[in-house]
Amino acid sequence: MKTGLTRLLPYVLILLVTLALIWIDKPFWIQLAIGVAITAITALAWDILSRTGQVSLGSAAFFGIGSYTLAIFEPLIGLTLAWIAVAVVCALAATLLGLLTLRLRRMYFAIATLGFALSMQVLVVVFPDLTGGSGGIAPPVLADGDPRWQLGLIGLLLLAAVAISDTLLGLRFRPAFFMIRTKPELAAASGVPVVRMKIFAFIVSGVLIGLAGACYGGLYGYVVPTDVFTTNWSVLPLAIATLGGMDTTIGPLLGAIALKALEEVARSVIGGTGYQVVYGAVIILFVIAMPQGIVGLLRKVGTLTGRRTATGEKKKERERHA
Amino acid sequence: MESTLLVQSLLLALTTAGLYAAIASGLTLEFGVTGIINFAHGEFVMLGAFLTYFLYETAGVPPLAGMVLSGLAMTALSWLVFDGFLSRVLKQDEHNQILATIGLSILLINLAMIAWTPDARVMHAPALLPPLQIGDVIVPGNNLVVLLVGIALYGGMIWFMRHTRQGLLLRLAADDPQLAVLAGVDVTRMFRLSFLIGGLTAGVSGGLVALILYVQPLVGVDLVMRAFAIVALGGLGSIGGALIGAVLLSAAENLTATFVPGGGSWGYGVAFVIIVLVLVVRPTGLFGSERRA
Repeated sequence: MKTGLTRLLPYVLILLVTLALIWIDKPFWIQLAIGVAITAITALAWDILSRTGQVSLGSAAFFGIGSYTLAIFEPLIGLTLAWIAVAVVCALAATLLGLLTLRLRRMYFAIATLGFALSMQVLVVVFPDLTGGSGGIAPPVLADGDPRWQLGLIGLLLLAAVAISDTLLGLRFRPAFFMIRTKPELAAASGVPVVRMKIFAFIVSGVLIGLAGACYGGLYGYVVPTDVFTTNWSVLPLAIATLGGMDTTIGPLLGAIALKALEEVARSVIGGTGYQVVYGAVIILFVIAMPQGIVGLLRKVGTLTGRRTATGEKKKERERHA
Repeated sequence: MESTLLVQSLLLALTTAGLYAAIASGLTLEFGVTGIINFAHGEFVMLGAFLTYFLYETAGVPPLAGMVLSGLAMTALSWLVFDGFLSRVLKQDEHNQILATIGLSILLINLAMIAWTPDARVMHAPALLPPLQIGDVIVPGNNLVVLLVGIALYGGMIWFMRHTRQGLLLRLAADDPQLAVLAGVDVTRMFRLSFLIGGLTAGVSGGLVALILYVQPLVGVDLVMRAFAIVALGGLGSIGGALIGAVLLSAAENLTATFVPGGGSWGYGVAFVIIVLVLVVRPTGLFGSERRA
């Protein structure tokens, strides 16, 4: 069993690091932290969806819809309502995509969600009157462009994402979610509302990614479609959650920190073109050597040093392979 | 005038359909046998295109020979990739399988960008065939080559699957891996074979790309996205469906670009609308059979 202390660890860490960075006020570290926080939110959101067996390649759709909704609605209904509109539009899009892809399994689901994300990019270019086309759009700048406040706000959103992820890993949802993933028929037979749960996970995930996308758009107050609807934003959450450790809250956080740190190093060594080569290399290495991610490795180390009971570990294994 | 435009558009569509079919059939074969979608399939095409391009531009190797060499090189690379790491993810969860080939794709694209810059290149080879003129409609010679080689590749795969012993074993491994094991088939060998054939067709298709498209690191992404749509149309794992899917997609694309105002900028958007619609209406593809997903 997790002790109360380790459960609180992510919250304390996020709070301390955010406050410390705001206090120190070094632009480089604040920008890096903002990047880590935004990717961590998308990765947590992706992980929440994947717990119901829906391995999505469509995160970019919600990321882009978030920033575009904020930009389109802000002049019409004001800032506060525009943020609410982001959540509402993303929830609607998630419900729609969730219902459309309900029957699809495994690879079919992945391809359909990928198709959805890339269709969105084309839609934006096809309706330039509303969206600014390929020239881009200007969402309202977050926190008047003060990076420290931006980090503070995005840090709060990350805390919310962590809390939501933890709640969904709690006793109330966890059994239903994982049963839907491993044995959907059994879940339906034992009274789990499978459709409602799957759509619910989709909405939670989509809204979180949309809010993250709206924040991202607000960093500089300007986005082009290839910025937010790029496949990068579909692949990153999947890569980070897997590298960090799926079905956990701490995994996506660790994964985001590790991958962003690596990206910075690669960018300074290789330069702007092709630095993402490290993503490819790291992904391949992890898939071969550590398929359970960083958290899986830590657990293994924990088991070896005897800090964890062997039975608990076995139960985990069984759950995963069921 | 309108009808000339229509015929021209459809004929050009037919030639690109040859290329699409060759790429999509490799992808769908790999999926059908191993259950893994090879997101890096397009990068094998891209590497084949660069190889054909450099063989011609630096060593003067004729494009047709370059195509064959590219095919062989990509077969070898597929072997390396499969035994090096893909064979290890076959038993893992689907998110790891998806991630593995996406990782390979990111790696190859960025290596290509570092080595050859992201700029587009054009192979300055003379056309391999004289242009074909039917009435007012002209089909460029290289487009004819693409059509012929694409169809030959596709036909060769169909023949291999239907009329050779290895093809039979491949189909068995695809339909029922457990039964194949019981029948004494080395399933891992069949998985490898499907990737070797996929690599071969991708490499040769790369040579075709060098003939009619720009050679650049991202060319594979564009093509493989279309291949996904084709495979969705034809049914994941169905090689027969790939040709129908390819013809439908390239016809839809070319007609959009010709007749819809501003339709040229839709690009592969047509492909995605098709993916989503088809999968929603019929999750196993328009022409696919009910099979394992």
